[in-house]
Amino acid sequence: MSNLVSYTKEKKVGEGTFAVVYLGHQQNGPTPNRRVAIKEIKTSSFKDGMDMSAIREMKFLQELRHVNIIELVDVYNENENLNLVLEFLPADLEMIIKDKNILFGQADIKMWILMTLRGVHHCHRNFILHRDLKPNNLLLSPDGQLKIADFGLARAIPMPQDILTSNVVTRWYRAPELLFGGKHYTYSVDMWSVGVIFAELMLRIPYLPGKDDVDQIDLTFRALGTPTDRDWPEVSSFPSYNRIKIYPPPSREELRKRFIAATENALNLMCGMLTMNPQKRWDVAQCLQSPYFIELPEPTDPIELPKLTKNEA
Amino acid sequence: MDEEERREMCPICKTDRYLSPNMRFLVNPECYHKICESCVDRIFSLGPAQCPYLGCDKILRRNKFKSQVFEDVGVEKEVDIRKRVFNVFNKTLDDFEGDQDEFNKYLEEVEDIIYNLDNGIDVVNVEEKLKSYEDMNRQLILANVERSRQDIMNFEQRQKFEKEMKMKKRSLERQIEQEERANAEWAKKEIVNQLSMGSSSDEVIENVKKTVKLKKSSARRKLEDLNKVLRNNPYTMLQNGKLRKKDVSKTPFTPFNGDRDLSKRYKLTTDIYNDPFIVQLEKRKDFVASGFQTSVVYDRLLTEAFLGLGCYISEEKKTQKSSLIL
Repeated sequence: MSNLVSYTKEKKVGEGTFAVVYLGHQQNGPTPNRRVAIKEIKTSSFKDGMDMSAIREMKFLQELRHVNIIELVDVYNENENLNLVLEFLPADLEMIIKDKNILFGQADIKMWILMTLRGVHHCHRNFILHRDLKPNNLLLSPDGQLKIADFGLARAIPMPQDILTSNVVTRWYRAPELLFGGKHYTYSVDMWSVGVIFAELMLRIPYLPGKDDVDQIDLTFRALGTPTDRDWPEVSSFPSYNRIKIYPPPSREELRKRFIAATENALNLMCGMLTMNPQKRWDVAQCLQSPYFIELPEPTDPIELPKLTKNEA
Repeated sequence: MDEEERREMCPICKTDRYLSPNMRFLVNPECYHKICESCVDRIFSLGPAQCPYLGCDKILRRNKFKSQVFEDVGVEKEVDIRKRVFNVFNKTLDDFEGDQDEFNKYLEEVEDIIYNLDNGIDVVNVEEKLKSYEDMNRQLILANVERSRQDIMNFEQRQKFEKEMKMKKRSLERQIEQEERANAEWAKKEIVNQLSMGSSSDEVIENVKKTVKLKKSSARRKLEDLNKVLRNNPYTMLQNGKLRKKDVSKTPFTPFNGDRDLSKRYKLTTDIYNDPFIVQLEKRKDFVASGFQTSVVYDRLLTEAFLGLGCYISEEKKTQKSSLIL
């Protein structure tokens, strides 16, 4: 990262407690006039130092380079504020799902899930848990590539003695072991999120929209069946297990009815990612090897994927 | 007894079609002599036996008997030979990368083999040729069999898809028709109603027509969507062959995008590594329940332990520089 490069901040697009996001351009350097997003972390105004998520984001994005992961272009310091220069990505998957004017088909869904899994695969093989996968964090570049963003909750795979917080992942995409308050989870939490995203893409509405944490548990098991000690050893040892209602797991026929357009292989893949027992849940390599990606229709070429109709400029 | 009558009678047991209308004739590809089903059961049920025809010394097996498709035995025989040869010589134009001349030569050769087998010319040598070709090209033959199977499957899938789409389309069209009829009726009633309340006739008719127009049904919208889907139907694109050509030039599709590192940085010679600390964790309920896996722990520790070994930064820098100059 050369010192010669400079950036302009042109338009403020968002503001949170810890950061402001601007749109801007790269001034000189190898790719002049490249559009970038600049995340300015407000360090100066806090006595305790800066927000943890900014450090996480920097730490992991510096390491990860992949087509399906957002690129951290540069980091610089200005007026005691830390600035993260990120790739400019105008849309995210949530916008696409919500925009009812956009039609997308099985081939498009396949490509999006494929790109998501490729990105997740790159994280996992570098021993990084994303812990906040949701359509909102899957950004889309103008040429159709999907990129995983927001590594504010990411962390490295824990050492065995580490205790992790179960208060991660946006509620609707939270895996059952997190809902129960598990503290020693692994990659499988990300796989669950991808499974829920897959379901959401097919339904075009959120699959498990819980109103609060208790409702989320209830909804998850109503849709997918309450796990028992037989298919998930020691699940009853979670303190909150006793309070939940018992629902039967859905039959294949019910799932087929719910996901009308899905092929058998698509359902297999989805059920693999939405397996209750984290030990039996498919890992990312297993998912990528699913026959779903090989069967017809072929995944759409990224450049031909549906885009937002309105131009955000 | 003329030809017609003989055909309707089994030459072995002399059963007549007239008396037993359910009689079926079977032939064996060894000699193509026609025998009725009950005779086949009777003669060959105890194992291979000689053909019952006078002067035919072929040994026949029961499981090789089949019903005759073509009346002419000559045709039947040739079709069987063709089937057998094409099972082995199953190359297509694609295997010759579109080279028409080479492909024609190949077809000529196959045709020669079939002719020789059919007419009993040099059978031993030809059989030898067939066998050696089969042994040499087993891989290719299997691949081609798989491909033709897949072609058939694609075709079936496409047919199914198109049929479903057509059904949907028809039902939507019917729905639209019904709605339109209902709308027309409603408009008529509405006009009469409003006229009875005494508003000016032209205005009323105009208004009612407008509302009807606005009532563009949801079924119609669905039909439009369906038509869109049909237009970029993946199967029809395959059919046109355009997509396939384009795909050949592209890098072939792989789920990992060619980016998968299967070689670990370490090799485990034993499955069981007894670390008392981790073994203990593995048994704790809260660890088991939240999906803790020792393999994940070992994988990270071992990979990180060996990370960077075998990387020579100075050498990598050298090659980088030279590539920059180039």
